[in-house]
Amino acid sequence: MRRSIPIALRQLVMVAMAVVSLYPIWFLLQTALKTNEQYTLSPTGLPSHPTLENLRQVILELPVPRWALNSAIVTVLSVSISTVIALLAAYAIVFSTMRFREALLRVNLGLMVIPPVALLIPMFVFMVDAGLINSLASVVIFYSGLMVPFAVFFFVNFFRQFPVELIDAATVDGASPLTTLRRVVLPISKAATFTLVIVNAIWVWNELLIALVFLQDENRRTLMAGLTLFQGRYATNEPLVLAGALVSILPVILVYVAGQRFFVRGLTAGIGK
Amino acid sequence: MWPYLFIAPALGAIGLVFVYPLVQVVRDSFYAGSTDTLTYVGTANYKNVVQDPVFRHSLLNNLKLLVTVPVMTALALLIAVMLNDRIRGWRQYQAIVFLPYILPATAIGLTFSYLLQRNGVLNTFLRDAGLGALAPDWLGSASWVVPAIGGVVVWQQLGFGVVVFTAALLALPAEVTEAARIDGAGWWQIQRRIHIPQIRRIVEFFVVLEAITVLSQVFNYVYVLTGGGPGNASSVLEFYIWKNGFSLGSVGTASTVSVILLALASVLIAIYMRLRARDAEV
Amino acid sequence: MIAKRHPLAALLVIPVVLALLAAGCGGGSSSSSGGGGSADEGDLTYWYWGESDAPGANKWMKQMIARYEKLHPKVHIKLVPQATDTLIGAFKTASQTKRGPDIATQWATLPVLTPAWTGATAPLSDLIPKSETDNWISTQENISQGKLWGMPQYLLGVPFVWNKQMFRAAGLDPDTPPATFDDLLAACTKLKAKGYTPIGMGNKDGYTGAWFFAIYGKSQLSSVADLQGIVTGKAKFSDPKYSGFYEQMAKLRQSGCFNDDISSLDLNQGWQLFPRKKAAMAWTTDGNALTWAKAIGAANIGVGAPPRFGNGALASYYTTTQSSSAMITSWSKHKKAAAAFLTFLHTPAALDAWYAETGVFPADKRFSASRITNPVAKQLYRLATQKSVWGENYLPPQVDQNADLPAGQLITSGSGAPSKAASLWDTVLQQWKTQHPDEYQHYQQWANG
Repeated sequence: MRRSIPIALRQLVMVAMAVVSLYPIWFLLQTALKTNEQYTLSPTGLPSHPTLENLRQVILELPVPRWALNSAIVTVLSVSISTVIALLAAYAIVFSTMRFREALLRVNLGLMVIPPVALLIPMFVFMVDAGLINSLASVVIFYSGLMVPFAVFFFVNFFRQFPVELIDAATVDGASPLTTLRRVVLPISKAATFTLVIVNAIWVWNELLIALVFLQDENRRTLMAGLTLFQGRYATNEPLVLAGALVSILPVILVYVAGQRFFVRGLTAGIGK
Repeated sequence: MWPYLFIAPALGAIGLVFVYPLVQVVRDSFYAGSTDTLTYVGTANYKNVVQDPVFRHSLLNNLKLLVTVPVMTALALLIAVMLNDRIRGWRQYQAIVFLPYILPATAIGLTFSYLLQRNGVLNTFLRDAGLGALAPDWLGSASWVVPAIGGVVVWQQLGFGVVVFTAALLALPAEVTEAARIDGAGWWQIQRRIHIPQIRRIVEFFVVLEAITVLSQVFNYVYVLTGGGPGNASSVLEFYIWKNGFSLGSVGTASTVSVILLALASVLIAIYMRLRARDAEV
Repeated sequence: MIAKRHPLAALLVIPVVLALLAAGCGGGSSSSSGGGGSADEGDLTYWYWGESDAPGANKWMKQMIARYEKLHPKVHIKLVPQATDTLIGAFKTASQTKRGPDIATQWATLPVLTPAWTGATAPLSDLIPKSETDNWISTQENISQGKLWGMPQYLLGVPFVWNKQMFRAAGLDPDTPPATFDDLLAACTKLKAKGYTPIGMGNKDGYTGAWFFAIYGKSQLSSVADLQGIVTGKAKFSDPKYSGFYEQMAKLRQSGCFNDDISSLDLNQGWQLFPRKKAAMAWTTDGNALTWAKAIGAANIGVGAPPRFGNGALASYYTTTQSSSAMITSWSKHKKAAAAFLTFLHTPAALDAWYAETGVFPADKRFSASRITNPVAKQLYRLATQKSVWGENYLPPQVDQNADLPAGQLITSGSGAPSKAASLWDTVLQQWKTQHPDEYQHYQQWANG
């Protein structure tokens, strides 16, 4: 007879975990749908008359859409750039006989764990001197660079599991490395690339510190930096603030719900054993 | 020829975003003043910073937050081994626990800043359940503010551990488990002796990743939940750097602390490299 | 379809397209010093702050901008409201990059003078004639090296308010506020006995503590020179003459006078308690006092000078400041246009509109007191025009942010004794002097000159 945690207890733990994981998100949602008066009267209860007024105000009257657009532009640009850079580099590292490959990988590993905050001030001064402060280009450049080490690590891991025969076959056929990359490797790497893109996109979307420092002009803020402005300005209107927060998490939730299975599989494939 | 071309963009990016700032930040740590009025001061910044009680407290807070790492690792392992048994609805549970991980820390911080007010939702709930003694001023008391932040960190990071551990467990060969089961091993024994040791590398990876996270990726939580308060009680190194470097323009101080933070991160990396090397030998 | 066959190309096309977009959105106003421009044309950016002090300020400013743009079609003004906790930091960044607004708001005295000393702002006295600036009230808060660096917009009084109904119920005279610290403690005890929360404030963001310094830090001081002495280091802050008020603050907390969640609520959140009748007393701004009068009834609210905590000459000074001051940046290419707009904000129509919208008193001698009809406002006006000083103005921003704010939090969260709060000041003052010797020098020159 196997001694194990009884099923009932296991289900209880799971349910408790689910409740704890979901309640704050639920609280966010239900508060965003209340008026300030409703919230004061009943912070925990369900909204008696759910209202979209806060969302309307946030989207139509406040700079939230502008901020969201900034975040979107920055995300798409920096993820694209870093992915391309990393694909090229990883391909070269895995499928060539270049010297210093191992050394580069080790350096890369080290870079992955450098806290961006340590690089912030010199980058800030650099952007000031280059006249890029308060422009989206500044964060795009910084984010792209920051994501390269992890992306390289990820693709190297993935490419190492690649059937080398396919590469050799293509080379024998006279294909250039670029062609091989495009025609042979990429089509098979769609899932992994997709996963990396999503992981990085979420990181950029969620990033606060760098955006706060480089983009201080109210109109140039990303959504996260803009939300912190909200917090101060509408400190006494919690439902409005959380309506803004709701707008910031919706894209992430949508991506998650749509691609969740993919995501989990790809994440673990890239991290390796 | 071509490998060097392929790798050039990456080298360029790394040079700009990593090498250049690293060199600069070390250089700046020997200067004082704001960006337009820098004066050389040698190691004075290091001396001052090390003597600054707020710096020491910030460092201490980062170290205190390291406590969350074994907590979330243990919790994640527990949940992962339960999910590994493929109980009913395991995929849904996994999806649910992972959701907090991808949400923006800023939005989460805002939510928790309301939930954790002294007379906020959590405490109201605790008091209604007769557990009023467990309802301190989470964000307004110097003794509870760091555990409160730690709690939010665990809440968000747990899902990542669960997913990664579950995936690793599911990938284990079933024959070993079956053999042990036939031999009469109990459930706990199987987890402790067979499952968990086999995913040791992943666990180490998670532990190091999370240790680095609480060392250098908790700015969002502190900024939104507490602003470093009350009275600097919840300041962490990133917050200290941001506040002094950007809010107040003290480039020298901020660079000095950045260098210290880098040194700490290097220690963690060195430990991890050692572990990987050891695993490679095994 | 193209993307399927050439994934790499697709990956590159999207970024290129968006890079063009980003470049288009890139950069703030370009930098170059000098450039007064013409008074009648230009695109101005105005970083404005005032809504926290005076609800309605943003609306008024938008109206004024609309009016001005109609009168001067070649002038366009972009209004960018600022957040309280990044007000100083954001402008600091702008002044380092020499890019950003043409007109910016900072709190009076040190926050205005600190950037002025580094050359980030242009002296208003060079752009606006004395005949105009002589009408402005409280300009002495922003004078250095014989020049005026900031324009006042309003006078912000910081009265003490109390709920007369609760006082009556607790056996206190509803028409007489506590006059001294001991009176305040006694009132707290009586209110608590009746189950009322005596004082409702919020200190999670540190501002109640900062206010305590401004209102009570001067309790044992005899002149403004003493206040400046804190910074120039004539004495240590741990001298009870300077830091004694922390003992009193701690006493208030220990006696349960503050709301129990003072440490987890921001100032604005803590200010919800009084109008919701959840607290009996508070220190607040004129604007809020008027709003609260509407909330709990004008007959029910008492407004007066804060209880005195000490015997120094400054203890009886009221607490008024112009709070936000408008500055013109040195890199602005349209200084004359900016000056013209600022002058417009002091025309009678603009002043009247300000008062009508916010109920906060304009900082202009030409504003007639007879316009004030609201009885509560009349009381506040009488208070606001007394001799006043706002201590926080005399602190360099770094000292304010790193010492003033956290020190108060130590007290309200009960996590530090008053001695610890005081020694924090000493440490931070020392750090500031070492980190910014140039600012220290300017401060000394200003204090002595």
